[in-house]
Amino acid sequence: MDKGLYIAMSGAKQAMTAQQGHANNLANVNTTGFKADLHQARSMPVYGQHFPTRAYAMTENPATDFAGGSMIQTGRDLDVAVKGEGWLVVQAPDGNEAFTRDGGLQIDVNGVLRTASGLPVLGDGGPIVLPPASKMAIGGDGTISVVPLGAPPEEVVVVDRIRLVNPDARELGKGSDGLIRFREDIDAVLNADPALAGQPVEGRVAEPDGAVRIASGFLETSNVNAVGEMTEIMSLSRQYEMQVKLMGTFQENSESSARLLQLS
Amino acid sequence: MHGALWVSKTGLSAQDTALKTISNNLANVNTTGFKRDRAMFQDLLYQIDRQPGGLSAQDSTLPSGLQIGTGVRVVGTQKQWTEGNLQVTEQPLDVAINGKGFFQILMPDGTIGYTRDGQFQLNAEGQVVTPEGYQLQPGLDVPEDAGVLTIGSDGTVSVTIVGEAQLQGIGNLNTVQFINPAGLEAIGGNLFRETNASGAPEEGVPGLNGLGTLIQGSIETSNVEVVEEMVNMITTQRAYEMNAKVVTTADQMLQYITQNL
Repeated sequence: MDKGLYIAMSGAKQAMTAQQGHANNLANVNTTGFKADLHQARSMPVYGQHFPTRAYAMTENPATDFAGGSMIQTGRDLDVAVKGEGWLVVQAPDGNEAFTRDGGLQIDVNGVLRTASGLPVLGDGGPIVLPPASKMAIGGDGTISVVPLGAPPEEVVVVDRIRLVNPDARELGKGSDGLIRFREDIDAVLNADPALAGQPVEGRVAEPDGAVRIASGFLETSNVNAVGEMTEIMSLSRQYEMQVKLMGTFQENSESSARLLQLS
Repeated sequence: MHGALWVSKTGLSAQDTALKTISNNLANVNTTGFKRDRAMFQDLLYQIDRQPGGLSAQDSTLPSGLQIGTGVRVVGTQKQWTEGNLQVTEQPLDVAINGKGFFQILMPDGTIGYTRDGQFQLNAEGQVVTPEGYQLQPGLDVPEDAGVLTIGSDGTVSVTIVGEAQLQGIGNLNTVQFINPAGLEAIGGNLFRETNASGAPEEGVPGLNGLGTLIQGSIETSNVEVVEEMVNMITTQRAYEMNAKVVTTADQMLQYITQNL
C-alpha cells in the first residue's frame, strides 16, 4: 500500500488543529483586549533513499497579532484603554510581571486596583492601593488622582501612577494563561528543570515608557478579524476535504492493485 | 474528536451568558435605582502542543511552536455604578441620592439590605417602608397627626403637626457607602447585600464624607442605556452565530470523513 496515505492524513490532522486555533480566536471575538493568534502551516520534508515525495504538514503559531482593537466608550472611570502601542503591567499568580490590554479594572475590598480576573495592576512601586475617595480620575499618562473622603473638591491627591510599558513586540509572546510575557520568560518556565517545579523563576522587568498614553472611560475590543477567521475556517475545511479525498484515492489505488494480484 | 467543537462550545455558552445579562438590563430599563451589569470575558488556558525552540534535529531548533487556546469564559458580571437620571415625582416620600450612598433596609430575616431605590411608603403603624413593606433604617415613625413631611438634603426628617407652629424632627435618614460597591451581592427587589468583596458599610450623614445629598420628591431612574444594550446585543448575536458556524463546519468535517472513507 502507498504510504502517501500517511501524508494525506498528516494534512487532514493539521487542518483540524489549525481549525481549533481559529475557533479560539472566534470564541474570543468579544473578549476585551484579546489579541488574535496567527496560524500557519509549514512543510516538514522527510526524505530518504528514494524519490523525494515525503513532506508532512505541520501547523504552528508563529506569533500573536498585536494590532490594536477598536475603542468602545463605556463612561466608567475605572475602564482604561491603551492608545496605540503599549501595555498595562499586572502581577501574574506566579509573582512575575505580565502584560495585558484588558483595562476593565476594579477595586477590591482593600482598595487594591485589579483587573477583571483579579490580578493586581502594578504602579511605579508595586500594586496600586487607592484610599477611600469620593472622586477618582485616571490621567492620560496613568496618573491616578483622588479626592479623599470628606475633603473639599479642590483637594486632589495623586495616589500613584499605572505603570505603562512598551517593550519591543518581537520580544513578546502569549503565555499559556493568555497573558502577554517576554518570550524568554515563557521559555524559561517551559524549559524549567522538573526537579525545580513550583520554585519561582525570576522574570524580566519591563522599563516604564513615558510615551504610552491611556484613555479613561474606554475599553479596547478584541482585535480578532471575524470575517478573516470565518474565511480561514471555510478554506481549512475545504483543504481538509481535499486531504480526505486523497486518502480515498490512495485507498482505491491499493484496492485496484490488490484486485490485479488476485488469483481467481 | 474535533477540538474546535469544544472551543466553539465555550464561545457559545459565553455569548449566551452575555445575552442573558443584556436582556436583564433591558428588562430593567424602567426599574428605579437599577444598575446595569456587564459580562466580562477572558480567554481560557492555552495548550502547548509543541514548544517553540524545541529541537527538531540534533543541531536545529523549531523556530516557532504551537500553542492552541481552549476558548473563552465569563469571569464575572460587573455592576456599573454610574448614576441614573433624576426624575421629579413631587411625592414627599420619594428620595433620590445625588452621588454615592445607599439606603439601609431591615430585611425580614433581621439583616440589613442596601438599596438606591428611594420610593418609600408609610405602613399602618406610620413607619417608613419600601414597597415590599420592609422597614427603612434608622427607623422613622411618622406621628398620626402629622401634616407635611420634609426630608432635608442632609437626611433630617421633620414633620408639621396639625395645630402647632413648630416643626417636629422625627429622625435622621443616614446613608452608607462601601469601598467596592461592585462587590455587593444583588439579591433582587432592588436590594443588595454586603459581602467580603464589598467591605463593611460606613454609615454617615448625607452630604458629608463623600456621601451624596438626598433630594426629596425625586427618584433615580435605571442607568441602562438602551442604545448601548442594543449594540451589545447585535455584537453578541453575531459572535454567537459565528461560533455556531464553526460547530457546523467541524461537524461537517467529521461527517465528510466518516462518509468518504
